[in-house]
Amino acid sequence: MSDIETGKFSIDELENVQITIGKIVGAIEKKAKEEGVEVGPTPKPGISGLRDWDHKLLSRYQPVYTPVCDQCCYCTFGKCDLGGNKEGACGINMEAHQARETLLRVITGAAAHSAHGRHILHHLIDIYGRDKAIDVGPSNLVAPNTQAVTGIKPETLGDLEEVMDYVEEQINQLLATVHAGQEGAAIDFESKVLHGGMLDHVGMEVSDLAQMSCLGMPKSDTEAPLVEIGMGCIDSKKPVLLVIGHNVSGVTYIMDYIHDHNLDDKIELGGLCCTAIDMTRYKVENGGQPRAKVIGTLAKELKMIRSGVPDVIVVDEQCVRADVLEEAKKLSIPVITTNEKIMYGLPNRSKDSAKDIIEDLSTFKDPGALILDYDTLGEVAPELAIKMSKIREDMGIKALPSDEELQGLSEKCVQCAACEMDCPANLPIMAAMKAGVDKDFSKFEELHDVCIGCGRCDQACPKDIPVLDMIEQASRKIIREEKGLMRAGRGQISDPEIREEGVNLVLGTTPGIIAMVGCSNYPNGTRDLYTVADEMLKRNYIVVMSGCSAMDLGMYKNEDGQTLYEKYPAKFLAGNLINVGSCVSNSHITGTAIKVAAIFAQRNVSGNYEEIADYITNRIGAVGVAWGAYSQKAIAIGSGCNRLGIPVVVGPHGSKYRRALIGKPYDEAAWKVYDARDGSEMPIPSSPEFLLTTAESVEELFPMLAKNCIRPSDNNMGRMIKLTHYMELSQKYLGHMPEDWYKFVRTETDLPLAKREQLLKILEADHGWEIDWKRKKIISGPTMKSDVSAQPTNVKRLCKGEC
Amino acid sequence: MVDTTKNTLIYTTSGRKVAKPVNPNVAGKMISKAKRPLLVVGAELLKDEKLIEKAITIAKKGIPVAATGHSITALVDKDIDVKYINIHSLGTFLGDKNWTGLDGQGSYDTVIFLGHKKYYLDQVLSGIKNFTDLKALAIERHFMQNATLSFGNLKPEVHLEALDELIENL
Ligand code: SF4
Ligand code: SF4
Ligand code: SF4
Repeated sequence: MSDIETGKFSIDELENVQITIGKIVGAIEKKAKEEGVEVGPTPKPGISGLRDWDHKLLSRYQPVYTPVCDQCCYCTFGKCDLGGNKEGACGINMEAHQARETLLRVITGAAAHSAHGRHILHHLIDIYGRDKAIDVGPSNLVAPNTQAVTGIKPETLGDLEEVMDYVEEQINQLLATVHAGQEGAAIDFESKVLHGGMLDHVGMEVSDLAQMSCLGMPKSDTEAPLVEIGMGCIDSKKPVLLVIGHNVSGVTYIMDYIHDHNLDDKIELGGLCCTAIDMTRYKVENGGQPRAKVIGTLAKELKMIRSGVPDVIVVDEQCVRADVLEEAKKLSIPVITTNEKIMYGLPNRSKDSAKDIIEDLSTFKDPGALILDYDTLGEVAPELAIKMSKIREDMGIKALPSDEELQGLSEKCVQCAACEMDCPANLPIMAAMKAGVDKDFSKFEELHDVCIGCGRCDQACPKDIPVLDMIEQASRKIIREEKGLMRAGRGQISDPEIREEGVNLVLGTTPGIIAMVGCSNYPNGTRDLYTVADEMLKRNYIVVMSGCSAMDLGMYKNEDGQTLYEKYPAKFLAGNLINVGSCVSNSHITGTAIKVAAIFAQRNVSGNYEEIADYITNRIGAVGVAWGAYSQKAIAIGSGCNRLGIPVVVGPHGSKYRRALIGKPYDEAAWKVYDARDGSEMPIPSSPEFLLTTAESVEELFPMLAKNCIRPSDNNMGRMIKLTHYMELSQKYLGHMPEDWYKFVRTETDLPLAKREQLLKILEADHGWEIDWKRKKIISGPTMKSDVSAQPTNVKRLCKGEC
Repeated sequence: MVDTTKNTLIYTTSGRKVAKPVNPNVAGKMISKAKRPLLVVGAELLKDEKLIEKAITIAKKGIPVAATGHSITALVDKDIDVKYINIHSLGTFLGDKNWTGLDGQGSYDTVIFLGHKKYYLDQVLSGIKNFTDLKALAIERHFMQNATLSFGNLKPEVHLEALDELIENL
């Protein structure tokens, strides 16, 4: 019998009978075999597929729970007080419940990304067909996450459907375990968390592969164009069309309409959040110029709306405030919803004519409309913006209070502190009010950058003082100057780039990758991002940006008036600054690490997740920083990094994710691996020290970054470079030499050359190491040997003679 | 005498077990009685010279200090027993019987917090409250509901006065 193929078949004698064969058991393995690809042990792993790996990670990096709430209210047995690790009525204890809470956040984030992926994939298949080839640049390994996890090497959009099927099924399985009376052990909820994180990166990858292949986005383009960014770059004299969200399926129709009708110079098209990033990636490959401006992050959402500048607001999905319609209504701004995930109770006008919709919205018959037909949307949004601009001007819409009113409002304040206590950052609002009474509004101005624009202060104030509006009005001079440049998201790191730089990363001579990702819930304003990136770039780290962090980085200029995107080149080389793209482009960061294992180290990638993760854990010095992480998506992204052994630091607000994964450097037994050459045990440095933790300030963050890029595979030069940065950054930002620097020294050649003698003296005097002073060599002391041909692994089966 | 127990308004609920409000003289005596106290200071301390002084004065009474964030920048070379540690790590290690402390001398029984971001410390204290037997004393400007004992919500100047009174009772 010949092999059955997938596809559609007609049987000659039976008229009108068509059989569709979708999936065949063993199909991944068969296809791989035909292509000469070896499939590893875990293609499409189920929940337990990588459990052993997870448990290994979790034995070193133990979950640390800091509950946001001590109670559980999941079912009607409750509420149950789990305080003190008590058990609830169903028998679950606090630890397991906190792990379950974490899981719920992670799969919510993964669902948001993968549902976005499914939506855009569906949409693009409708237009381009299943056979449309995936084209993301000069790479053979086009889908590293997908291939490592599922074993599928996708070539067409149609191939991605099967990948999404897998992701969705697994997320559903995970969601089921959140129900009362399912999993009872924290450790296995934790394994599920890591599973959810891994799935998230596959879902994100599908999203970005699909849109990059079809929407003319840059493909591993090191010269991707620079894009205008900032509230100050919007010309409010023109009709302003504001788009908020993440999914550009519908927005591209608006952009095409504007372009095709020669409206490019007549309308200001600006975006907030990742939709803005992807708008500026649309049709810019091969030298095309960006057709939209980036206004900024979620932190600018309410501020932008309240400025009264937008004439029409279009929202798609994710990270869109729930009160956009209410806020917009107050300022006569029509709102168009374009995605089933957000509909705001608006009438569905998808089947109506553009003319009728424009008429109804411009006469305020309805405050907005749901439009799921993108051709109609493409016409309505820009035409309505043009019309509303005139109407709103004639109406004389007044948005923010005047300077005179600012003083009066300050006088109303009774210094009750309710706003400060409710403010997520406990910002000093009362002092600003006090100064405002004397017409000194500088303190409001100081609040602007640290304020995340949430509006909670307004809600708290018993005197109905519009605190956020006051901050914005007092800061309008600064806001007008908020103009920067961001490099458009370039997509993946290509295979040739990995070939060039992989060796430096593994040996440590490029000191590490610092991936700055995530949202805008920063503890101390946006400038911190600039400070971190600039310092690490000067020190030759590769800095990779994405999402809202990529935007905020472009807001600042150095003394020469340059943004960091202008100052540093964008190749995958030491000292380069890369913006991979939007939220879903985060998959390219993990993808890069997978590529180093697959391309540089020639590890088999297909369905071979554990081996790849093991390789990355021991050899690739990369640290993720989600300094303003706020969302469920951000913790999903972090968890996906963690399963690959990539550590992530979040800012202090990240402590509210309620669980971290922290190792104990003093527990020597935890810092041992096998040497794959003979299966013997070898000690390793306690780095990364954590998989997920928080830092309090950027000053604290700096040395953490340098230290946690140290890996067992560093050669002497690499270790020397990393150690130098660790010591220098500790001295620069913490004012002291780190306590544990000597623990990373294996031989004298690991020590910075300029300070070698001085450090040898300290090793001898303070730590009792024996030094041969004639040859300036260490005789005894270190707990680790320096051996570049050692093959560190956490997985016994990968050792010689084991299988 | 400063009364630091009046305003204990909680701004977000967390659980049934809530810190007991404490006055500075009682807090001071409690610290004095502790066998192995540890003062944990955060980077918010750096925003106020006077707070730094108070922390140093407490430390000079022989209380070891864990400096979290970058608070150590104000505490090095001050002739006090101070070491840097990340607060999330500290919160974790404090609950581990095998941890021998910052100085290798064994675990702590009373941990005192000063100079932290409220929302951040809330989380660290939640871990300590739920998973350890430690006595956590918050001498912050805000009522820290997850501590064992805490000052109430105070105006900055009252807070400084309260710290002076605490120091007198050490
Ligand atoms: S799920 Fe368990 S702990 Fe939660 S409310 Fe129900 S019985 Fe209580
Ligand atoms: S809008 Fe700004 S000042 Fe007001 S509560 Fe939110 S962060 Fe604080
Ligand atoms: S809540 Fe209102 S009245 Fe109270 S301090 Fe804040 S601004 Fe003033």
